[in-house]
Amino acid sequence: MTLLVFLASKNWYDIRDLSNISRVILEGLDRFLPSGIVYVVAVLLGFVASFLIFVLPSQLIVGVYGERKIIGRMQSRLGPNRVGPKGLLQPIADAIKLMQKEALTPKFADKAVMWVAPIIFVAPCVLLFAVIPFGPNMIIADIPVALLYFLAVSSIPVLAAFMAGWSANNKYSLYGAMRIVAMTISYEVPLVMALMGVVLFTGTLSLQEMVLWQKSNDIWVVFLQPLAFAIYFICVSAELNRTPTDIAEAESEIVAGYLTEYSGMKWGLFYGMDIGYAIAASAFAATVFLGGWSFFGLDKYIPPWAIFIAKTHLFYFLFIWTRGTLPRLRLDQLMTFAWKFMLPVALINLVVVATERMLWQELTDGKLTQGYLYLFAIVNIAMAVAIVYAWARMLGYSPKDETPMRPRLFNDARGYVPVVSEKGGR
Amino acid sequence: MTRQISGAELAAASERLVPGSVAKTTEWTCFLKPETLRETVAALRLDPEMDLVHLTNLCGADYWDHFEVVYHIQSFDKNHIATLKVEAWDREKPSVQSLVPVYHGAWMQENEAYDLFGIVFEGHPKPYRILLWEGFPGWPLRKDFLSMPGGLQPGLNEFSGVARRIAPPVSVVE
Amino acid sequence: MSDQVKSEPFILNIGPQHPSTHGVFRVKVKVDGERILDAEMVMGYLHRSIEKLAEERTYTQNIPFTDRTDYLASMSNNLGYVLAVEKLAGIDVPERGQAIRVIMAELQRLASHCMAVGAFANDTGAWQTPVMWTFREREKILDIFEMTSGARLTCNYMRIGGVAFDLRPEFEPMVRKILADFPPFIEQLEDMLSGNEIFRARSIGVGVLSPEMATNSSLSGPVLRSAGIAWDIRKADPYSGYEKYDFQIAVGYNGDCYDRFIVRLEEMRQSCKIIRQALDGLPGGPHSTQVPLALRPPAGEAYARVEGPRGELGYYVVSDEGPTPYRFHIRPPSFINLSALREITIGSTVADAIVILGSIDIVVGEIDR
Repeated sequence: MTLLVFLASKNWYDIRDLSNISRVILEGLDRFLPSGIVYVVAVLLGFVASFLIFVLPSQLIVGVYGERKIIGRMQSRLGPNRVGPKGLLQPIADAIKLMQKEALTPKFADKAVMWVAPIIFVAPCVLLFAVIPFGPNMIIADIPVALLYFLAVSSIPVLAAFMAGWSANNKYSLYGAMRIVAMTISYEVPLVMALMGVVLFTGTLSLQEMVLWQKSNDIWVVFLQPLAFAIYFICVSAELNRTPTDIAEAESEIVAGYLTEYSGMKWGLFYGMDIGYAIAASAFAATVFLGGWSFFGLDKYIPPWAIFIAKTHLFYFLFIWTRGTLPRLRLDQLMTFAWKFMLPVALINLVVVATERMLWQELTDGKLTQGYLYLFAIVNIAMAVAIVYAWARMLGYSPKDETPMRPRLFNDARGYVPVVSEKGGR
Repeated sequence: MTRQISGAELAAASERLVPGSVAKTTEWTCFLKPETLRETVAALRLDPEMDLVHLTNLCGADYWDHFEVVYHIQSFDKNHIATLKVEAWDREKPSVQSLVPVYHGAWMQENEAYDLFGIVFEGHPKPYRILLWEGFPGWPLRKDFLSMPGGLQPGLNEFSGVARRIAPPVSVVE
Repeated sequence: MSDQVKSEPFILNIGPQHPSTHGVFRVKVKVDGERILDAEMVMGYLHRSIEKLAEERTYTQNIPFTDRTDYLASMSNNLGYVLAVEKLAGIDVPERGQAIRVIMAELQRLASHCMAVGAFANDTGAWQTPVMWTFREREKILDIFEMTSGARLTCNYMRIGGVAFDLRPEFEPMVRKILADFPPFIEQLEDMLSGNEIFRARSIGVGVLSPEMATNSSLSGPVLRSAGIAWDIRKADPYSGYEKYDFQIAVGYNGDCYDRFIVRLEEMRQSCKIIRQALDGLPGGPHSTQVPLALRPPAGEAYARVEGPRGELGYYVVSDEGPTPYRFHIRPPSFINLSALREITIGSTVADAIVILGSIDIVVGEIDR
């Protein structure tokens, strides 16, 4: 892929490319530190830049405050508005409250495992942000298998959640732990299938290359493969335990699931990282599907990391939206949905995408011109709707034969009135 | 308007279905004999003319020398309601036949009557103290289970210093 | 496979402290994986021996007791009790008192169903959005109760022979505003929930009740009507002037949780209709008849019932010509509606058990008395 010229210069004060600052700092330190230590400093700097400056404020402002405000407005009430001006200090208040609480450990629980589980839950979240490109030069580790790394690391928190549910001596926690394992392994398969379609088109597993592909071809993958985007959204919200699929932490059923016995900052870590993983998944979706830091040429003027942050938060808003609106599905309904609907649809999508890729290769004699992409986009959008509709009909869902939404009305009281159906159905 | 079945009509129907089941009759209720209680009620439930399918209320009452279990049973199609009673004369361990095989809705209400009065329902699949805890001393709703220590019963004269002593009641049969 | 893999059923305690058991109520379920094998109910955490205490207070002093049994429908509770005592003592209620009673009972039904519908949607997992919406409407009704009787929840408004206070002049505009706001709100709820795929998947076919079992288990109220039995005390045994108003009763199809939900929504619509008719034809005159302070009804017994929001609420009062009742028994609809819980829960999952419990709409104050 040809690297296009950016207007961002190499000066350290040009904030459109933040890697200038880090480069200047690291080169300065390299002069008087022993050789090799500067790599450690680079890692620390990367941690500070990605996690502390980007993720943690996003978590606090968008994840805690924004989510509660937006859900409050959806429920026709104000969100938090007491602490600080318009409630903006609410996340700080939450953090302080959690830190000064007593983290109880039940008497018969497995103390070592219970202590370790939050740590294993937090660590992968920090690791995930190492491969996400914030801008053309702003990526901590530009490894060629970034997508694979991302999928692999995002499976580790399931282990931590299971450890958390197992170690507490509580049947509700065990329920939560079992449910989360069953759900996650079911929803990972369609997720990977959907992403394989994207990889086929962009031809690379590296996230930076994907953004550059989208920038050079002037099309976002979400328009090219809407079905893959929809599958990704549903599967990743199931992985993250967000409503409507939050059965592992279903408050009204199993009283907080695997988190039941946690309190204080240990719970705070779980809760915070719940939002952290959601931000990571949003960042990943913004990179792969929504074009990353590129915006059809505007990224020369607007700082690319600002565009990227805006896209991440836009995707996160979708999570908040579904959480405030939809009820929760039952476990066996979720499993049925994953295996009978998501997986075949993802496979059909993969087959269609592979065919299109082959056609693209053939029709352009290997030159892979851009014009065909628009054609594929239109075809894919139509096919997404068609595949979903056809597969749903095949599974037996028919919208006409539905339960009536209003009951029968009678004028006088009598005994049992049997249901007389004209259609012969109910 | 739901019609209240008179005692005479109910007694006539019970005698017709199970002869010798009526102990006595008053204007609006019918006292059944304890031995044939379940048979009679089952027959009344299946009888097309009475059609008493819905056990609306089952409760106990303590009348000093005997206990009564009152049943209000109604019919949807015929829109009438009947009041049946049965008496239990043993003060220490009153026992009445259970209607759970006939009406499933009697399960919890009989448990409640057992819990509060001590009336044992024979044939109840699982009698247990449903509202109070197992091992509660006594049967609270009996008239000799006083709610204030010292043999006193609070009432309208409590502030004037005259404690109202419980007197055996006037007969409450209409 | 069954030789190597052995699974034992274990007992899970739902409640008494649980976000979704609608009060201190405990269900011990024996589960094998997620299937329920047996369910045992343990209640009595709120037993206050109201029936015993009522034998020591006069008939009028017992009216606040009836508020506190079903604290979400206190007007209906009061109404049932005073109807029983009036039947016993042979007291007539003036027309205005009867009309006011009907308006209050139907407003109470609206408020109680708001809570029931919201809590049911919360049990299916809709993360409190429906609860917030229904509570917003319920607040308007509670404001009216506070204006009329002095209390939001435990109103203590009905008296033997009528009602306690007459209506204030601000009453009618506020009720007209509620009548204007409520039907669009019910439409909104219907759009949001009844047509929602996930909600329907959670509640259709869950907790199915057959009509024979419903009749045999002495059920009443929306639970009975969802099973297909058209029985409503307001139509079958009208009290307090209900025969003058034109309304329908809602009957379900299958007896599952979804039917109970739509029956309650429809009852809310019918309540709006009744309130409008009662308010339009509100007669003048006295609002209650005078009864002596320590009423001594003639010896006898009476059983009177009203159609409360949860079912048939009956009062069995026995009098011995004293100032206090000889026997005071409440026929609680929630307690008796739980008779069928065990049968309809066996075979479903734990998540379904919560949804079924939510759809039966219990109030623990009434169960335990």
